[in-house]
Amino acid sequence: MIQFERFTLPNGLKVIVHRDTSTPMACVNIIYNVGARDEDPEKTGFAHLFEHLMFGGSINIPDYDNALQQAGGENNAFTNNDVTNYYLTLPASNLEVAFWLESDRMLSLAFSDKSLEVQRSVVIEEYKQSYLNQPYGDVWLELPKLAYKVHPYTWPTIGKEIDHIKHAVMPDVKAFFQKFYCPNNAVLAVSGNVTVEQVRALCDKWFAPIPAGNPPLRKLPVEPKQTQARKLELERDVPVDAIYKAYHMGSRMDQSFYAMELLADILTDGNASRMYLELVKNKKLFSEINAFTMESFDPGLFIISGKLSEGVTLEAADEAIQEELKKVSLAQVKKEEMEKAKNKTESQLVFGEMSILNKAMNLAIFELLGGAEEVNNETERFAKISEVDLLVEASRVINENNCSTLYYRSKSKANGN
Amino acid sequence: METEVRLDRHTMPALGKPSKIDILHAAESKLPNGIPLYSVNTGTQDVVKIELIFPAGTLQQNLPLVADTTNALLEEGTAKHSSEEIASMLDYYGSFLETSSHHDYASVALYSLGKHVNKVLPILEEIVKEASFPKEEIDVYLTNKKQRYLVEEKKVRVVAARNFPALLFGNNHPYGHVVTLDEYEAINRDQLLNFHRSHYASNGCAIIVAGKIKDQFLNTLSDSFGGSNWKADDLKKTGEFAISPNAEKKHYMPKDKALQSAIRMGRMLFHKNHPDAIPFQILNVILGGYFGSRLMSNIREDKGYTYGISSGVVFLQQAGYFQIASEVGSDVCDKALVEIYKEMDRLCNEPIPQDELQLVKNYLRGNVLRSMDGPFALAERFKQVWLHGLDYSYYEKYISTLAEITSKQLQDIAGKYLQKDSIYEMVVGSKKA
Repeated sequence: MIQFERFTLPNGLKVIVHRDTSTPMACVNIIYNVGARDEDPEKTGFAHLFEHLMFGGSINIPDYDNALQQAGGENNAFTNNDVTNYYLTLPASNLEVAFWLESDRMLSLAFSDKSLEVQRSVVIEEYKQSYLNQPYGDVWLELPKLAYKVHPYTWPTIGKEIDHIKHAVMPDVKAFFQKFYCPNNAVLAVSGNVTVEQVRALCDKWFAPIPAGNPPLRKLPVEPKQTQARKLELERDVPVDAIYKAYHMGSRMDQSFYAMELLADILTDGNASRMYLELVKNKKLFSEINAFTMESFDPGLFIISGKLSEGVTLEAADEAIQEELKKVSLAQVKKEEMEKAKNKTESQLVFGEMSILNKAMNLAIFELLGGAEEVNNETERFAKISEVDLLVEASRVINENNCSTLYYRSKSKANGN
Repeated sequence: METEVRLDRHTMPALGKPSKIDILHAAESKLPNGIPLYSVNTGTQDVVKIELIFPAGTLQQNLPLVADTTNALLEEGTAKHSSEEIASMLDYYGSFLETSSHHDYASVALYSLGKHVNKVLPILEEIVKEASFPKEEIDVYLTNKKQRYLVEEKKVRVVAARNFPALLFGNNHPYGHVVTLDEYEAINRDQLLNFHRSHYASNGCAIIVAGKIKDQFLNTLSDSFGGSNWKADDLKKTGEFAISPNAEKKHYMPKDKALQSAIRMGRMLFHKNHPDAIPFQILNVILGGYFGSRLMSNIREDKGYTYGISSGVVFLQQAGYFQIASEVGSDVCDKALVEIYKEMDRLCNEPIPQDELQLVKNYLRGNVLRSMDGPFALAERFKQVWLHGLDYSYYEKYISTLAEITSKQLQDIAGKYLQKDSIYEMVVGSKKA
């Protein structure tokens, strides 16, 4: 249970405060309601590139990191398809430094040409490091493209192609900032050794003077129901064949999400999970197999990925996965399987609440998802899923006509070594 | 933006007075059989971590991979329960195991909600004392491990990380040995059983518990592990190994069409108890140990050659070494190398400006607080001195050195350890795109 207080500034900035006096630290987390899904299809990768530019100096403070480090702070940020999130921890006695820094970059950036030029290169190196120069790295460029035809989840957060990043220019940067980086498009969550009065006073001082903006109303194209199985084969210089199957499912706050998370657990989490026992240990078709959901805000994907054992064909591996999935879409899972999955989830939530950073981040994310109080309903939402609910959801999701399958072939194997 | 007139947004708000850093010490006791028990009793959540540490790392193994494989297979079956049953029982209580094998030691840790810890403790006891290493499980494990090895071998970063320590220690030293695929073939069940019997034993074991610890729980722990029935008569004292560094300093492993090249550079240092250990760590932070470091500022934030570059110090029981790691665009690899050497030279030849030094001191003071936040972090801090035969005075020394160290002292340290001709260099990838 995370206790918190919430208030909203006149400019629309939502503020959440969680007090935890067991630590000498404080955490400040700001989430902006903009992700890769909000990008222009011709200028993808922009939300993420922009995240890098947020560290390139703001209107009154030339060097964000330098100032924060002087205050004993540490920070980072991430962008995904849905949101851009910035977070820092520092000794609670220096809390005001965090407010000074974060409010200045919400007010305005310095928009330095040098920063844009350098961060374009840095992101291009990140693109290579994570997607192009890694075995199986380009799966995450190809699989979303296959699964989504109209929704912007069709491109990855890093961008459709390197050229989109290369061609980003300063007017785009300024327009993006104007559009999305305003107080009424953000949530500020503060946790740690702080008081609500202290945070309120700091907000009034540093954030309240920032004028509200006009963030656009999000109107994303809805992905039409998939009615036919989709297949793609790639051949790459990798040592072993791999398979990826992506099924459309519901969005983060739907019952579908909670059911499919539990199902993923039952299928592949740990040495007692179904697919691990049957496909890795018993039939020895895979060296590893994983099921997971993308946890996306809009309707997402349930993914099974596996690396094949020596001598197993992709077709046989695919069939074996489908056979295991049929078992859970045709008959209820056992009561004890369900209980284990729920207990594990509950325990993970308790462990997750050990850090002030996790707590602040979750409060901010849930505020965007519909209300920070929802963070305390997670255990309950998982607990409410019954074996029948799981069966209903599994039989709705698990269907080859709702699936995109990627066969990732090893080049050396394809050529007979 | 002319939003306000009075608020001074240019000047950083005054920093708070740095508070005294109080480190919660682990309480020390002994189980009836002599096992030292260290207990960090604190935290807001009803959780417990129990970590058992054994002298069962690569230093103690007589064949490559034996330590690692033994540790990984502990949870894969006992005389009483199969791998599946063990996992099922732990899952049911939402507990999880973390087994890990290192150069100097091996560890088995159990995480549990406090309310269930008495239910899962017997499982921990069983796998530690009665692991049976079923043949079938060994085969599955090794087959899949070999596959993963091949996949990892495709990553330039991994190849560099695997091969670099061999330059410093030699391939025959446990710290430097590069594992090969053939060595997986040589593993058999008897070796694992023997290693387990003689190394996962009460003599040699230490236990660290952290979280909300109840007295009654410590009694249960003593019942599980305090007995005299799991001692090994043949536990040998860990041997000392000869170090034979490579005669050649520069190494290049070509990888066709690599878009990025992995760089590893570094040198042998000293133990964690060496008088230069703390000053060198502070110097390392300035060079490559935080986001604002000289390497990051130059090679990422000024030149855009990489997504990330860092340097670090590795302290082991029998040695210590320093290394720099990065993946850079293959087309700019040579330029990146020049800049890395330039940054080391600058630390040798120019005093660190006062404002930079003060910034790093403040940052590291914050880091000390951050690294001691919560019961598990506190337990880790204890372990990281205990493993090296040190105690909490190490952290007091660290904090006082941080307050007192001067630019002159750091420049002397750089002159001693960062001379260009003492640095080993390994590049994996393509030097020209």
